[in-house]
Amino acid sequence: MSALDRLPSGRGDRALIAGVACLFVGGLFALTPLQASLPSALYVFVEVGITFVIYGMLVLGLDLQYGHTGLVNFGHVVFFAVGAYATAMLAAQDSFSGIALGYPWPLALLVGVIAAALLGLVVSATSIRLRDDFLAIVTLATAEIFHSIFVNFEGVFGGNVGILGVPRPIAALVGDADTRLIATILVIGGITLITLAAVTRLTDAPYGRVLRAIRADELVTRSVGKSTIVYKTQAFVYGAALAGLAGGLFALYNGAVAPGFFTIQVTVTIWIGMLLGGAANHRAVLAGLAIIMGLRLVSRFGLSVTPVSGDVFAAFRLVVVGLILIAVIRFRPAGIWGDPQELGVDQ
Amino acid sequence: MSLLSAEGLVKDFGGLRAIDDLSVSIDEGELVGVMGPNGAGKSTFFNCVSGVIPPDDGTVTLDGTDVTGDPPESLAHRGLVRTFQNTRELETMTVRDNVRLAAPDQPGERTLPALVRSGSMREHEETVRERAEELIETFELDHLADEYSSNLSGGQRKLLELARTLMLDPEVLMLDEPFAGVNPTLTGEIADHIRDLNADGMTVVIIEHELETLTELVDRLIVLRQGRLLVEGEPEAVLEDERVIEAYLGGDAE
Repeated sequence: MSALDRLPSGRGDRALIAGVACLFVGGLFALTPLQASLPSALYVFVEVGITFVIYGMLVLGLDLQYGHTGLVNFGHVVFFAVGAYATAMLAAQDSFSGIALGYPWPLALLVGVIAAALLGLVVSATSIRLRDDFLAIVTLATAEIFHSIFVNFEGVFGGNVGILGVPRPIAALVGDADTRLIATILVIGGITLITLAAVTRLTDAPYGRVLRAIRADELVTRSVGKSTIVYKTQAFVYGAALAGLAGGLFALYNGAVAPGFFTIQVTVTIWIGMLLGGAANHRAVLAGLAIIMGLRLVSRFGLSVTPVSGDVFAAFRLVVVGLILIAVIRFRPAGIWGDPQELGVDQ
Repeated sequence: MSLLSAEGLVKDFGGLRAIDDLSVSIDEGELVGVMGPNGAGKSTFFNCVSGVIPPDDGTVTLDGTDVTGDPPESLAHRGLVRTFQNTRELETMTVRDNVRLAAPDQPGERTLPALVRSGSMREHEETVRERAEELIETFELDHLADEYSSNLSGGQRKLLELARTLMLDPEVLMLDEPFAGVNPTLTGEIADHIRDLNADGMTVVIIEHELETLTELVDRLIVLRQGRLLVEGEPEAVLEDERVIEAYLGGDAE
């Protein structure tokens, strides 16, 4: 059996073990008096790291949808936002604006995931039969519609201020800032690693073979007896639910949600991360995302040493990101670690 | 007894009637050829029967059940599988995965067994792999098993498509131009495979332009013209029929 041959074997199990270990150590920091100390120079890295592991769940879900099944979802941020808002509104206490119901956070998180999955189901039910580019338009429009709903229904969603007073379970347990950051990145990172293990198992199994067959040719897949609509809907809903989970965790980490956190910028970042790393390869899309977010981190330092104003620098950063995307499409259309034959983009 | 039958099939594309009140019946174990000049409605007939496009009128019956307009996936479960005129490979998958994909009833194609890597999924996958290897060997594709199917030649693609459909162990196999663009040696090989399958009891329906091979191969020929049944019967008799000669060699249309 060759390397190309995907056996449903132990791949992804290391991620599972690492994920459980992270959760365990993170739990130790959160629940016991154990303390960690962090040089202040590293704060920014850990903070970007936390955003990375949250976005990691987004990119893994998107990779399931696009990388494996070929569903073009240009509105992934909407599921992230819906998960975050649902969690925030249910769990928040005494928000300055919008609805705050004050339910226990685990329930709120669960509802956040379900809400995102339901929205995914609605979008699938209406649009999953559409061809690639049309689905892209529908998802993009869905994201924009929800964005303006969040901004404009101030009484419900708090307008531009958003929902404040969302409980922060880890912050509530750990007073010390260093320990809190470490515990947060370990817990959320652990969940991302478990997600990685789960999607790897799914796509290594015969299940993933059907998804990749749909990406290759849906009619052939149907003619050998697979209900492709069911698989496409499942892939879409699973991706949406993962984004909802990421959103809920984000709300519970951040303590507040606002429309500014859920702009199209999020969708763009994870798309570029996925394409840069190489679609249809879970570890590659995470690495691609790390590169693009690392670039942002580097450029943050760059701002302090360049003699230009913040606005100019921000514009310049976008130019660099655009150039990277052009370079990837031109020179490595399958991404850095992607397989050109598997993605059908022979150079 | 008739295993697959079409009664009064009609399909319009805009103002064009591609098939017009077409009734065809195929018995269990038969090897039937469908021929006719370009535009006679052969592929449309296949598409309507195999659920790729729904007919505008008429019924399709498979093994006594009305399956008119059923989607291809449910027909595949009922034992009717087809190939395509322009071979459609899953080009971004290897030859092995192309064949394995078609395995029916794999529990690992559902979320939960895939996530927990259930024992039944693994056991089933073992048999799927064995069967796929056998088929790949039978069709002499073993040296290409790990190639992406986009790298295969036209003839190899035809073989792969055949191997893939056989993974489903169909009762009725519908082949749309299995010899198109295939060299004479390979044509002979594919014809032998089809003959063997039919000898083992599989009902086979073939659309083909390669008349010589087709007439040697089949028990019965059905000739379509302008969406209607023109002639059917024993190959030799059909080929000598005046109407068939006229349809193929020209003459006054209507």
